[in-house]
Amino acid sequence: MSTPDLAPLGVAGVGRSGPRISDPRSIPEIVLEAVESALADATCGYDDVDAVVTASVDLFDGLTASNIAVTEVVGAVMRPETRIAGDGLLAAIHAACQLWAGAYETVLVVAHSKPSMAPADLTPWAMDPIHLQPLGASFTACAGLQARVLTLDDPDAEGRWAERAARLSTLAGRPTSPAEVSASSVVASPLRERMRAPLADGAYAAVLSRGEASVLLRGAGHDLCAHSPGDRDLRHWDGLTRAAGRAYAVAGIDDPADAFGCVEPACLYPHEEDLFTAATGTGPDTPVSPTGGLFGGAVPVGAGLSRLVEATRALRAEPSLRRVLAHGTWGPAGQGQALTILEAA
Amino acid sequence: MIRTESIHIPFTYAAGGTSSIFLAALRDEARILATPCPACDTVICPARSSCPACGGPTATPVDVGPAGTLVSWTELADGTTLALVRLDGADTSLVHRLAGGDGTWVAGQRLRARFGESRTGAITDIVGFESENGAGR
Ligand SMILES: [Zn+2]
Repeated sequence: MSTPDLAPLGVAGVGRSGPRISDPRSIPEIVLEAVESALADATCGYDDVDAVVTASVDLFDGLTASNIAVTEVVGAVMRPETRIAGDGLLAAIHAACQLWAGAYETVLVVAHSKPSMAPADLTPWAMDPIHLQPLGASFTACAGLQARVLTLDDPDAEGRWAERAARLSTLAGRPTSPAEVSASSVVASPLRERMRAPLADGAYAAVLSRGEASVLLRGAGHDLCAHSPGDRDLRHWDGLTRAAGRAYAVAGIDDPADAFGCVEPACLYPHEEDLFTAATGTGPDTPVSPTGGLFGGAVPVGAGLSRLVEATRALRAEPSLRRVLAHGTWGPAGQGQALTILEAA
Repeated sequence: MIRTESIHIPFTYAAGGTSSIFLAALRDEARILATPCPACDTVICPARSSCPACGGPTATPVDVGPAGTLVSWTELADGTTLALVRLDGADTSLVHRLAGGDGTWVAGQRLRARFGESRTGAITDIVGFESENGAGR
């Protein structure tokens, strides 16, 4: 397969609302705040947006067609809207493809969810209903199965993950010690409660365009693995390796170990950072999640787009970072993977 | 203001042709079936109509297990233990529960399927997998 010659796109504006552990506002109010801040950041208005890509999942919103609640606040009335039922970074990549195809000049990307509306774990309803759901399989259980496999040849893994979770929580403003992590209750052994980034309500938005901007989207890739964790080699995020290969080819990156000023993985658990680093080939000296990653509040569906927003803010504040990877994942044990490469102009 | 709702929507999930053969074999004969993929030479368990690795159509189901080895396991907050079991003759792992034992599990340990007495044609017709040497390991 040949690599397409794709011009860099501009990240003209980014915005967010939250993350908040339990936001009392309605979904349209949360989304509107993110959209208005992204449009203001891009110094443009609804009239400057040619199309909208939204990401939302019915189950989280308690609606069959979760975008009906946000169509108006994202400015998609009498305008083309595409809705992605997956991670928000996938919506950003879809928008990028629309721009690369020349269909539009400016596309607004929005992702939201409000998990505080619903029971603690809805993910059993996202599992294969014949072979997996009747057994009590959930995304949490699949993360436990994946983490266990990683411990088998790595006896120090659990201690390292406790330290990492404590560091990320502390960076995110919730001071935590490794001992507190290790003493927290088991959610899916070997994973513990405090190893999991806290779920939060929120919305994220980005304005992508074919124009100039201080931060550029240089490359993107995404990929899917088989659904059942039993059909995969859980020691690796193979889908992310393939997604990274596509993104690096578009951006012309030959040596990922030395290419990034920092990386922003969307890791709900610390073991996923090991999988991310191995799959993307980023070097041991590359800073990971300098502001705590998802431990500041993990918004389902919004998580990947939150990493793009964070990467954009980091590159604007510190252009010497040169390039930052923003990552998104969805499904059980990293079934779906998305990666974008952002660069200071 | 908050409006409270509880969504109750009954569903019927069709297992499909090959998975129905798999479920009927569990129910009627306490056998575990897998499907070979002629294209990538992989024996897939549970039996399915298409290969999860290459997407191609699978061949006639074959017997695997009922014994196998433990690949991974996770103890959940509700006290159940979910596992990946590589059944003898299969190239992929079956997701199922572990049963019995003292909670001490080791990768690679030998397991055997325990079937329920009254079976309905569901993945839960296998109660779980227990150590091949009886309780514990
Ligand atoms: Zn195959």
